[in-house]
Amino acid sequence: MMPTLSRADPSLLGRWWWTVDRWTMLAIATLIFFGYVMMLAASPAVAERIHTARDIFILKQVIFLAAAGVVVVGVSLLSPRGVRRLALAGCTLALVLTALTLVAGTEIKGARRWISVPGMSLQPSEFLKPCFAVVAAWLLSEGLRETTRAKRLAWPGLALLIAGLIGVLLKSQPDMGMLAVIIGVFIIQLFVNGLNLFLVAGLIASAIGGAVAAYFTISHFRSRVDRFLDPSTGDNWQVMRAQEAFGAGGLLGRGPGEGHVKDLIPDAHADFVFAVAGEEFGLVICGLILLVFAFIVLRALSRVLNDHDPFVVLATAGLASGFGLQAFVNMASTLRLIPTKGMTLPFISYGGSSALAVALGVGMLLALTRRRQNGDLL
Amino acid sequence: MSTPDDTAPQPNAAPDPTSPVHRFGLPARRAGAPDAGSTLRREDTRGVAPAQDRRQAMEKTRERLVFAAAGFALLFSAVAVKLTVATVIAPSLPKEQTAQRRPEPAPVAPPPAAPADAAAPQQAAAAVPPPAPPKPAPGEHLVRASITDRNGEILAISLPTASVFANPREMIDPTDAAAKLKTVLKAIDVAQVTKRLAGGKQFVYLARQITPREQLAVNNLGIPGIYFEPTERRRYPLGRVAAQVIGGVDVDGKGVAGVEKFFEQRLAEDHDKLQLSIDVRVQAAVRDELVKAVADFNAIAGCGIVMDVRTGEVLAMVNLPDYDANDVGHATEDERKNRAVWGNYEPGSTFKLQTAAMTLDSGIGHLWNIYDASAPIHIGRFSISDFEGKHRPLYFPEVLAYSSNIGAAHMAQSVGAERQREWLGKMGMFSRIGIELPEASRPIFPPVNNWKEAATLTIGFGHGIAVSPLHVVRGTSAIANGGLVLRPTILARPVDAAPPAGERIMQQSTSDVMRKLMRLVVTDGYGKTAEVPGYFVGGKTGTAEKVGGKSGYKKHANIAAFMSVFPMNAPRYAVYMMLDEPKANSTTHGYATAGWVAAPAAGRVIGRIGPMLGLLPETDTAAATQASLAIALQPGHPPGAATTVAKPDSKPAPAKPPAKPGDFKHEAALAQPAGGVTLANR
Repeated sequence: MMPTLSRADPSLLGRWWWTVDRWTMLAIATLIFFGYVMMLAASPAVAERIHTARDIFILKQVIFLAAAGVVVVGVSLLSPRGVRRLALAGCTLALVLTALTLVAGTEIKGARRWISVPGMSLQPSEFLKPCFAVVAAWLLSEGLRETTRAKRLAWPGLALLIAGLIGVLLKSQPDMGMLAVIIGVFIIQLFVNGLNLFLVAGLIASAIGGAVAAYFTISHFRSRVDRFLDPSTGDNWQVMRAQEAFGAGGLLGRGPGEGHVKDLIPDAHADFVFAVAGEEFGLVICGLILLVFAFIVLRALSRVLNDHDPFVVLATAGLASGFGLQAFVNMASTLRLIPTKGMTLPFISYGGSSALAVALGVGMLLALTRRRQNGDLL
Repeated sequence: MSTPDDTAPQPNAAPDPTSPVHRFGLPARRAGAPDAGSTLRREDTRGVAPAQDRRQAMEKTRERLVFAAAGFALLFSAVAVKLTVATVIAPSLPKEQTAQRRPEPAPVAPPPAAPADAAAPQQAAAAVPPPAPPKPAPGEHLVRASITDRNGEILAISLPTASVFANPREMIDPTDAAAKLKTVLKAIDVAQVTKRLAGGKQFVYLARQITPREQLAVNNLGIPGIYFEPTERRRYPLGRVAAQVIGGVDVDGKGVAGVEKFFEQRLAEDHDKLQLSIDVRVQAAVRDELVKAVADFNAIAGCGIVMDVRTGEVLAMVNLPDYDANDVGHATEDERKNRAVWGNYEPGSTFKLQTAAMTLDSGIGHLWNIYDASAPIHIGRFSISDFEGKHRPLYFPEVLAYSSNIGAAHMAQSVGAERQREWLGKMGMFSRIGIELPEASRPIFPPVNNWKEAATLTIGFGHGIAVSPLHVVRGTSAIANGGLVLRPTILARPVDAAPPAGERIMQQSTSDVMRKLMRLVVTDGYGKTAEVPGYFVGGKTGTAEKVGGKSGYKKHANIAAFMSVFPMNAPRYAVYMMLDEPKANSTTHGYATAGWVAAPAAGRVIGRIGPMLGLLPETDTAAATQASLAIALQPGHPPGAATTVAKPDSKPAPAKPPAKPGDFKHEAALAQPAGGVTLANR
């Protein structure tokens, strides 16, 4: 990529190149490559169905994925402090915008999650997820420095407060899937931060309690779960077609462009892109995609294992968990492992807002996992 | 990463693992901390939290991280397992995926309604048996039912073909595709096809009804975006045979005329063959003789009908000129005319059978009655005279045998307008014929308030009313078959079905007498040329001047028809032969009348079709049979009976005020030259 960069090169790029985790970079590049492939496979059918010019439909995603690549590299140039500042600013902006969706949002399929900006629909909560993970990491790590018990609890308390605000906002949209991921990430961060296991158990219990409450109070959530538990009770059409797509794909797939599921499922290019991959490329490529996701998450977690900066550790754990959970929820619901939850597959699903938000998170992840000595970048 | 940092700016200070460090090696300024050179101080002030604790905390964090990583590993492993199960171990079978891509419209519930054609007969609508309920035929949704004659000969059949269409959006190279297609489909225009393939549509037809061989060839071209649609092609193996009866189909396979149109729904939904009453052998014989007659007498058109007088089944319906049913698109309007049901013609003298039967059946007239035909009748602006008349009083049988207009007018006059209308109404002369053909026309006749005495008289010998030839055939069949009016049908009746009931219109005895009178016309009257030994042909000639021109009737343009039934001792078939505008030739001694041009053709038809239909000429007992049918031209009258008929209506006399021009509206009687019209009907 940059063979001329010398290890002794003191420039910004030079230091970046020699300190950044190039394996993860490669993994992210792989995902972006699969994003292009799947977009080419699934988008024409979708563009035809929604009567959009195919070329523009594809071109938009090409630009978004390229922009995502730039964002990944650009953000990864930042220092941990820069990451923190960026996250603080992003979190504030995303919170405001998320609140704004409630009054000025575009309603799509019964939910107000989007804000129309020229060329795309922006989903601010997508950006909220990585930014809040970093902000929460910062607040938790600040708490560790405090001497008095009150102060030690004040910082995490602030984080909890923000999490509660996010919860209220996302509940109002409603976007329970995003809420679950954000809360899940926060719990993982608390857990990694060394929270008392009883409290962790209590948090998990209350999360489950919240899910049970949601089951009884939110009708569409209940119907999703019911349909998952008993397929005969409701409309499982998309998920069933997705299962058939995997079945048709088999080990090696029908071959590029040969799939049918993209003609059938409305969300083939977004939430069900994994099924398109399964049908056209089979177990081998799907397994490879899965491995890449797992690699990114596990590598990030292992890279901060010996890091002494709690902020870096917590932020990395949050970002990696958010990224991993999102990928897991998407693949698992496409595979009917969990109830259907509309969530994009990072970099691979169609969608500008999603690609840029994921790029932001991954960029921050790369920035935090750069090799440094005692917090100083080498 | 954990190696000691020998580049730290403060070698003496123990490195604080939690301290954020500035990129340029200077200690980071934390909120609330002194600005510079504070590392040592900070170390001192923060000594409250022992490094031991922090190390423990870091150790815990590490453990938790490993735990979290293990959790993720578990989650992704679960996905991997499920993925393997879904793709390889227990793949779901795709169900009807292709069917879902192109949903077939749900089969329409078969409404077995009577054919809802605007031209469908109204009168007989109730009598039309509802088409057999369509049988479900999965997988055969494309095959239009065949049409056969009564013996199973195929008249119409559908062959599998394919239509080629393209999705131009899937086209890679329209120019190349068009050039390749041209190699197989010679008829296409390359420039035009290229243009259509380059367009933005998603569906364009390229060729219709190509053969399976061509379909294979096009498929082998391997052009993406080219598709086939199974279609079918309607073929008529016998071409011109009964073309107007069958009609034909348009490019979409929909019936455009005849049976194909009338039974459109039935043919499309029920895949059993539709069996017509037509007998192609009889049809061929009739056409053959009609072609000869048309050629011999240079007629402009002709029509021939053979009908079973006991069932109403039409065995032959020939119209000339005709066309090849495979090419209905290029047939002229004249060729497409089914004159047998569509044409309205003044029936002329063949209608005298109706007048005679009506007179006898009403009891007003008898065989021994004498009608004064010595002088023309003048009524209104009409002057009724006889063609080659005897100019003397005629007995009842003589009126028919010599086809006396004056005599028939007197008969009609004696019966009166009301009973005449009632009779003709029951004969179905005022409504559509009721046969299953969309072309069936509505007769033309004077309205009730215009049915004046002149109309009664002229209609008595078949003028002033216009009906289709099949109306005449049905009316005559009812007279011959014992008095039952039947609905003519183009569909074959089941072999074992009981004969249709029909509607009795006259006493059996009237029919018996009428059979003898019809026979008399052939043995002693103007229909002698129709005689076929052994078939006891009976009939009636009819030559009517055609309506047209300024004078109302064309003087030298006739419709010459012979209406016959055979055998008269036990009537089976009615044979009608008609020539439009026949011209006299040397063999007819200058005559172009029905007795010279149509009756011989009818006789030849009877001679040919009789054996086909299982009727062999009766020769052994011919004399006895003939004797049983004999009737005197001038029968003696019983003692005391009056020979002249009492006339219930006022006597037609020149004194009667002439009708105003236009009073008698019917076009067939629009003759109104200054001197009046001589209706010379024979």
